[in-house]
Amino acid sequence: MTAAILTLFPEVTDVNGDAQNALVLARRAEWAGEDAVVVPAPLWAVPDVQPAAIVLGSSVDSALPRIRDGLLALLPRLTAWLDAGVPLLAIGTGMELLGSRIDLGNGSVVEGIGLLPGSASPLAVRVTDDLVVDAAEGRLIGYENHARGFRLDAGVPALGRVVTGVGDGRGVDGVRHGSMIGTRLHGPVLAKNPAFADALLARVFGRPVVPVSDQAKAADAAAAAIRARLLKGLPSR
Amino acid sequence: MPLRWVPAVAIGRAVRIAARLRKPGGGSAVPGLVVNRLAPGFLGSVLFSFPEGLAVVSGSAGKSTTTKMLVAVLEAHGKRVFTNPSTANISQGLTSALLERARLTGRIDADVAVLEMDEGHGALLSDRFRSRVVLLTNVMTDQIDRFHDSEKVLGMLRRIAATATERLVLNGDDGLLARIRSDVPVRRFGVTDGVLAASPRGLGYAETVRPPEADGAVVTAVAGASAAVLLDGRQHQVRLPARGVHYAVDAAGALTAAEEMLGDAFDAETAVAAISAMPAVFGRGEVVTVRGVQVEFVLVQNPASFQLNVDELEEGLDQVLVAMGSDVRDPSYFWPVDASRIGRALVVTGSKAEEIALQLIYQGVQVVRIEPDLPAAIDHFLSLPAPARGVKTIVFTADAMRRTRAHLGLTS
Ligand SMILES: [Zn+2]
Repeated sequence: MTAAILTLFPEVTDVNGDAQNALVLARRAEWAGEDAVVVPAPLWAVPDVQPAAIVLGSSVDSALPRIRDGLLALLPRLTAWLDAGVPLLAIGTGMELLGSRIDLGNGSVVEGIGLLPGSASPLAVRVTDDLVVDAAEGRLIGYENHARGFRLDAGVPALGRVVTGVGDGRGVDGVRHGSMIGTRLHGPVLAKNPAFADALLARVFGRPVVPVSDQAKAADAAAAAIRARLLKGLPSR
Repeated sequence: MPLRWVPAVAIGRAVRIAARLRKPGGGSAVPGLVVNRLAPGFLGSVLFSFPEGLAVVSGSAGKSTTTKMLVAVLEAHGKRVFTNPSTANISQGLTSALLERARLTGRIDADVAVLEMDEGHGALLSDRFRSRVVLLTNVMTDQIDRFHDSEKVLGMLRRIAATATERLVLNGDDGLLARIRSDVPVRRFGVTDGVLAASPRGLGYAETVRPPEADGAVVTAVAGASAAVLLDGRQHQVRLPARGVHYAVDAAGALTAAEEMLGDAFDAETAVAAISAMPAVFGRGEVVTVRGVQVEFVLVQNPASFQLNVDELEEGLDQVLVAMGSDVRDPSYFWPVDASRIGRALVVTGSKAEEIALQLIYQGVQVVRIEPDLPAAIDHFLSLPAPARGVKTIVFTADAMRRTRAHLGLTS
């Protein structure tokens, strides 16, 4: 059976290429001999599929209420998928909207849909720089560009410890809750961290997924070079 | 023109000469800065002094091409035109450019002025000048996605539009521009349904609408660097300075604005010939011979232009080099661009070579070689035997373009 990688509202959540993580998952699955396809789910037009994995990217603040309303309309299906253990990767404001609330810092608040035990509030300054996070999947690299932290409720684990950058402030980045993973690592985080992608795919297919094609080798060599340059001079974990 | 600007102009010139002595060829904004401080009314006063008035061009993309086309058409009609170099669109730079040409009285020896203004600086200056015609090109998606919202951009364009005393010339296909209300009559240029349908990803505007009727120039067909434009009820063939529908739209805008500026003196044949005679734009699909090899250069400035340029590449190109330089701090935002049409990239280079290679590989492009060292990559690429199909094509970002040109000893 073909694994459907659902990307939620890509027309408004692909500002930094976050939605393309669905493409990364599908391609790596193909490269490992599995059958997978990206299924775009536009706002108010989410197709009737059983997703194998879900990607929710980041957007601009002006679009947050609209996206939140789209998520609310999807809530019964979304909770059923999550209860069934479907992995969901949420990036930036995607993660924030899954939480309880977003304090925009200008006196207004956008309510989240309350699936994640945490809430977003302004950082002292906007952060735009490299971000390195030590997580269970390994040392994750990427870029962050945001102005808010995400405060987790007591006892809720973060995705990992920040090595370089800000993440969600307080030395950690993101969240793990049920089958959901949230992060500030924006853009093609799964392409830059193939081990992270393959860990998600292992959950999708219930077995180790090992991309072996020439494209996989070329992609992983490029990712390794990016990682090596960014990690140069950092203490190993 | 009163004599009250004489001291300011004289001081501005002195400063200019001093700046040149200190840094030959540079310091062009400094005299403007000084004069604007000494004589804040200078700029508006000079801009008001052109006997046949001022045309202002603003919008997200296509400003400088449209400005150059409009200047070419006006000059072909025998007008002496003052225009600003495209980098000098801030008020200091503009004042400095005016100083270059101003007599001591503050008067400039030209019949008409055509100025390119970016939205921000144009809006800031907007209460200091009036224009006969304002032309707004478009509001592109990538300009409002990351740090701007559409209302802010639109607010700036409204202020520039409000300087028009005779005519507002709008891209009629742009849905955000359609929201601008005007005290002066509006004329719209655009493309036909057929041209829109032939653009696989649309035109790149934040919002595209079908206007009830465009009463200015309308692009009816585009094939490579040649376009058919309907103007005053007649079809005209226009040769564009580079391939692509957005250059055709720029031409339609320039033709419409020129007709407004020239009135009865406007001659469509003269206008079309003037645009067709413009030199090709470097880095915009221009084919150059370097080291005896024909190479097409394609400049990528932002995701919208990346997408448009990739869509316009010939399919199945045999030899493509992609170069991404350090001007792109975070290449993530190029990932929404579907670059799969490139098909096969023989060489990927630049300081962000691996980042753009990663995108290309995931989008199904075969990446043959990654060589981050740009001069080495260019040398290797040019030394390969001539391609079986098409010409060697180099797709690069602005920084990679500068370094490529420097390496190849290209000037202009
Ligand atoms: Zn253009």
